[in-house]
Amino acid sequence: MAEPVTILVCDDEKGIREGCRRILSSEGYTVDTAENGKLGMDKVKENSYDLVLVDLMMPVMGGLEMMEQVRQIDPGIILVVITGFATVETAVEAMKHGAYDYIPKPFNPDQLLAVINRGLDKRRLTIEKEKLREERDQRLLEVASEKSKLHTIVNSMADGILVINRERQLALWNPAVLKMLNVTGRVDSGVGMDYRKALRQKDLVEVINKAFSPDFSQYTIISEEVVLSGETPKTLMVILAGVRDEKGENLGVVCTFRDISELKEVEEVKSQFVRMVAHEIRAPLGAIEGYLNAYLTGVAGTDPQFNRQMLERAKLRAHSLMDLVNDLLLFAKLESKKVVRKKEFLDMTEIIESTVELFKVQGSTKDISFSVDIPDRLPLIEADRAEMEQLLTNLVSNAMKYNVKNGKVAVRAVPDGHYLSISVSDTGIGIDEESLPCVFDEFYRVSGPNTRYTTGTGLGLSIVKRIVESHFGEITVESKVEKGTTFTVRLPLKQVNEK
Amino acid sequence: MAKRILIIDDDVDFVDLNKAVLENNGFEVETAFSAREGMDKVQFDAPDLILLDLMLEKHDTGFSFAKSIKADPRYKDIPVLMISAVASETGYEFSQEQDGYWMKTDGFVPKPVEPDVLMQKINALLDKK
Repeated sequence: MAEPVTILVCDDEKGIREGCRRILSSEGYTVDTAENGKLGMDKVKENSYDLVLVDLMMPVMGGLEMMEQVRQIDPGIILVVITGFATVETAVEAMKHGAYDYIPKPFNPDQLLAVINRGLDKRRLTIEKEKLREERDQRLLEVASEKSKLHTIVNSMADGILVINRERQLALWNPAVLKMLNVTGRVDSGVGMDYRKALRQKDLVEVINKAFSPDFSQYTIISEEVVLSGETPKTLMVILAGVRDEKGENLGVVCTFRDISELKEVEEVKSQFVRMVAHEIRAPLGAIEGYLNAYLTGVAGTDPQFNRQMLERAKLRAHSLMDLVNDLLLFAKLESKKVVRKKEFLDMTEIIESTVELFKVQGSTKDISFSVDIPDRLPLIEADRAEMEQLLTNLVSNAMKYNVKNGKVAVRAVPDGHYLSISVSDTGIGIDEESLPCVFDEFYRVSGPNTRYTTGTGLGLSIVKRIVESHFGEITVESKVEKGTTFTVRLPLKQVNEK
Repeated sequence: MAKRILIIDDDVDFVDLNKAVLENNGFEVETAFSAREGMDKVQFDAPDLILLDLMLEKHDTGFSFAKSIKADPRYKDIPVLMISAVASETGYEFSQEQDGYWMKTDGFVPKPVEPDVLMQKINALLDKK
């Protein structure tokens, strides 16, 4: 007890009160006195005492009643009874009421101190015990909350967790596993079951079996992809981590499951795209190499005119290869989620007119005429200028490329409800019905006698579509073979805030 | 009389270039850019050998073309030499020994085509005939 010991002496005899005060004060204790139980209780409520010395026979409130009340306030206070009737019965009665000890009147200082010090020793021990108990309770509380925390974490994880003990019984699994494996029932239902019975997926069981094979001990972790068949096939990444004791003995295994189905799909789309790109690059490269080889070796003859033609074709294919690479870069930029779009309020009139102007020069070689039909004061749209230029360029260049001699290209822009409708029409070769749904697909090119000598990347319209979609618009196509094609882009108008 | 070869491929550069190579080697060359055009040419005047690309335009493949040639008693003896980039793109190694019986072809040349290899294969098939 680091704090000074305080003692309350409660006796109706002044001589006892003062005598005790003198004796105890000289021992260094702080001593208060009260002349009856009621006054004594007032002091107990105000101060904290280590020990209360109480006379059993007092007016107003007797010793037994007071002891009762003291114990209610603080059961740790040591009660020592002073009794004038030195009989065993009263002492026993007092002990029953919670007194720690008693001292019969009359007593001498040594007797008093012996009893008091015994009581204070007990008090000290009680306090220490109390402290220890509090600490233990606190720790238990922490453990309990730790356990429930862990439980909550495991149960709310998106990844599946499955713990199997050395006897191959399920020790724990979380709701995510149940969902991934289509198990109906509660999380605790399968616990205790052999995993080979609890899990119906044969492939999965085989993977987990590896954790119990003799050669597993050399690995800390095994990860494997498991494809679960079913209505919607799933790909799970299963990670097995062995739990081992200090001797390396296998105690069980913790399996983590992650549903990577979507990731796999994205991966597949990506690698398919890469294969397509490789194919698209290989074709022109093969042609270029073939032409150059033929030119150098003379394997196709030595006619100078034909040789020059070969070099020109090689140059054309090299050029288209460059276009392809540029389109691929643009494509990757549009694909990237982090693409910076600098949207501003645009009047498309200027963009349409300048794009058409650019193509007029090229178009003159094929005697193609251009027309632009835009009303005055076209409503504004909110769009990225560079992307709008790209969109117009791709559409107008297609309209020109797939046109016929003396053909026409018409660009119109007109407000249409909440949209601006821009259409690019040509009088060209048209697109057959079968090919029409595919024109926006990456690398799709309509093949036929009319397009044989036209180079293209097969990405132009996919790029257009992506630009349109990133501006929350839509694109449609209408076409008739040998009559022509019209692409119509609808882009949302700038929101007008009505005042 | 010069032997006649029909090239069927949708890649105009491949057709033009190999036409020149074959002509330079003393062959007469017909060209077709689709399976249908190829069949028209075969029916009009059967060639001595067909140089056929595996992937033709639209949904046609060289496989189905080769099959219809080999199923027709009038044309089944015309050697068909398959050319394709598929082998190097998919990693599947085509070979006449392994795939000829189901591809209904008489020879296989991977793209890009080496003119020497092409001439060698063509001559071998024509000599066998």
